[in-house]
Amino acid sequence: MKRLPGTALLRAGRGLALPILLLLSAALALENIEATPLASLRNAQFDRYQRQMPRQRDNEPVIVVGIDSQSLSAHGQWPWSRELLAELTKKILAGQPLALGIDIVFAEPDRYSPGILGEKLAGLPRNILAKLPEPDNVFAEALGDGPTVLAVVGLANPLPGSRPPHKPLALLAGGDLARQPIARFPSAVVSRPMLEKAASGEGFINASPDALRSSSERGVLRRVPTLAFIDQQPFLPLSLEMLRLALGSEGQTVPEFGRHGMSGLRIGDYRLPTQGNGDLLIHYGKASSHYYLSAADVLAGVHAPEIFRSRFVILGFNSTGLQDSIVTPLGEIVPGVDIHVQVIESMLSGAALQRPYWLPRLELAALLLGGLLLIVAVPALRPRLAVLSYSGLATLLIGGGYLAFYSGQWLFDGPSLSLLLSPVFVSLLGSTLIEADAKRRQAERELQDSREAAARTAGELDAARRIQMGLLPDPQALFAEENRFAVAALLEPALAVGGDYYDCFMLDEDRLCVVIGDVSGKGIPASLFMAISKTLTGTLTRLESDLGQAIRDVERELNRENPEYLFVTAFVAVLDAASGQLNFVCAGHDAPLLVRRGTISKVATQTHGGPPLCATDSYPYRADQMQLEPGDLLCLFTDGVTEASDGQSLFGGERLAAALLRHREKAPPDLLAALRDDVRDFEAGHPAADDLTLLMLNYCGQPAKTAKNGAL
Amino acid sequence: MHLPTREQSGVLIVSVSGRIDHIASEEFTKALDPLLANCVPGQPPLLLDFSGVEYISSAGLRVLMIASRRAKGQRGVFAIAALQPLVQEVFAISRFNLIMPCYVSLDAACKVLGA
Repeated sequence: MKRLPGTALLRAGRGLALPILLLLSAALALENIEATPLASLRNAQFDRYQRQMPRQRDNEPVIVVGIDSQSLSAHGQWPWSRELLAELTKKILAGQPLALGIDIVFAEPDRYSPGILGEKLAGLPRNILAKLPEPDNVFAEALGDGPTVLAVVGLANPLPGSRPPHKPLALLAGGDLARQPIARFPSAVVSRPMLEKAASGEGFINASPDALRSSSERGVLRRVPTLAFIDQQPFLPLSLEMLRLALGSEGQTVPEFGRHGMSGLRIGDYRLPTQGNGDLLIHYGKASSHYYLSAADVLAGVHAPEIFRSRFVILGFNSTGLQDSIVTPLGEIVPGVDIHVQVIESMLSGAALQRPYWLPRLELAALLLGGLLLIVAVPALRPRLAVLSYSGLATLLIGGGYLAFYSGQWLFDGPSLSLLLSPVFVSLLGSTLIEADAKRRQAERELQDSREAAARTAGELDAARRIQMGLLPDPQALFAEENRFAVAALLEPALAVGGDYYDCFMLDEDRLCVVIGDVSGKGIPASLFMAISKTLTGTLTRLESDLGQAIRDVERELNRENPEYLFVTAFVAVLDAASGQLNFVCAGHDAPLLVRRGTISKVATQTHGGPPLCATDSYPYRADQMQLEPGDLLCLFTDGVTEASDGQSLFGGERLAAALLRHREKAPPDLLAALRDDVRDFEAGHPAADDLTLLMLNYCGQPAKTAKNGAL
Repeated sequence: MHLPTREQSGVLIVSVSGRIDHIASEEFTKALDPLLANCVPGQPPLLLDFSGVEYISSAGLRVLMIASRRAKGQRGVFAIAALQPLVQEVFAISRFNLIMPCYVSLDAACKVLGA
């Protein structure tokens, strides 16, 4: 079945509509990935990068002094007295650390302060108590002895007692700063004013104000702010404030801004890349307990003070009952205080995960490019190669993600891209397979059809052939005893056409009837028509002594039912063996050849010859007569002989006549075989287009005479 | 099979060419069909120009016979002209000149049919 080129295009277009739609949906999903389940996959993949390539922790610049279970059992329940904390602070500062950060907010007065005790315990002498030192003042004094940083907690909504901290960061206040998408808190929980004043700095300990907004994050802490505004004033986190203090006058703090928000934070010579909102994507190092010291041990003087020298020290909780635990992307549970350690280390080594504004755009471009590649390639490839092409693309995307992380901690989401491309691929592969399947079925159907047609034709031709051949008499068996004449006949059917026939029979003692005919058409209709013609001719020539009348009767009978408008050319002759008288009717057939004493001529059929039987409704056929002489040889043939072709020219009547003369001495059966061979030689392998039929009648005369050709 | 036609002195002349054997006869039948449908009284006579026909088999003759019968049934005029010698011989042997009017040339045919 042929298709117009336009139809093919339309079909191809219809096959591509779904993949293109799926690709666009994938792009939409990628743009809004936070609203899809893919967000979990993405976070899981980003975490996997870290787990497989964690940040190396070569040295330990930070020491955590933990208020742990041991400390609580040694010094009693939390909160401890500020005097105890003052002692702890003094012990640490004695070792001259770079900075001491205290991951605790002291918002309320010490409950052991003499004033409070005096109010609670009515029996105590108030005037004596008033002279005792205020514990918060003692603690404040200790804090003032070194570079110390107090924690503040930014609040999204003001609470009773909340107020802004006192020690904001000294930034060059640009007009732009107010418009940047930095974390902002209207108020904060801060320590008591005398503590604030005594400490060198204040840093917030809010970890990622928007981190837990979706359940898929499962409390994993991936990002912390590096800068926040509390009541319009800028602050650093506790960790970075410690670093800034340690650098002293060189600790100039400069947030860097670009067209897409904040891009990094610089403190002195150190720099961290950040997200647009100032968040740091922490590249975690593996958790370690090496740098954790117990507060009880420090108070007991177990460690020499030098252990704190040139190190950052953070005082925080490390007790099961008090600590806030954090789940890291590495899958580890660490105390919240450990985040400050990770941030300080990150700043010192400049290590951060990077996902700048252009990375999502790169991912979108990769998705569209990959999708278009698939759309172009998959329909053109065999299914096996198509699967390989998708696998290759997915491998490239996922592998590219790992390579990007390895080379610069870039967070490129390969798995989501591969997953988003899979519906595109599946739909493409599906339509390719459906197309291939349809083609295969079509081919099978056509093969089956052609086989069936061939079988039908073969069956029909075979039936036609058997009808044709089964009706032909064997003259040599029929006339084995005859010595007045000899008859030999031959019919070789062509492959596709069957419509020739011959016949020979005795009408009575003396009269021999010979017939040769050729039905137009082929197959069963021609064979049946031939069978009817042969039977009618045989019957009606016996009934009717006038041969012309007999043939007119034959045509009338044939015409009664002839829906296919078949016709038959025929030459019918009756030989009186006693007299040699030959009556004949020619109905549109080739005139037979007569060999008489070495010369050849055509039987004169022009006089009364008519058109083929059934070519007209009723032609008035009339018989002709001629006298045969002993030794006369009559050759009846069909156009299968004269129109045999060698591809260029036809065998023709003249070649037939010449061959007949050449072989005339032979007995009729041998003569037939020789003529047949001549025709086949001439055809030189070209398939015969029509049946080849020959009938030889050799008149020998009276039995008394001996004819040289009559020996049978 | 393509059968170019032209009209000359009121006769519709149809040029037939090539070999009309068993295979070509089916196409010949189809190509002839619409022309025969118009071969009725009041329409121009239909004349087949056989000058381009090299060979005709018995199947080809059958097509002509059926066409001739149909034209006769519709009382239309259907004839044939300008036979090549080989085709002329086939016509002579099968006496098809008795079945349908055969003319030596197109001019001769037009003189008779166009009147």
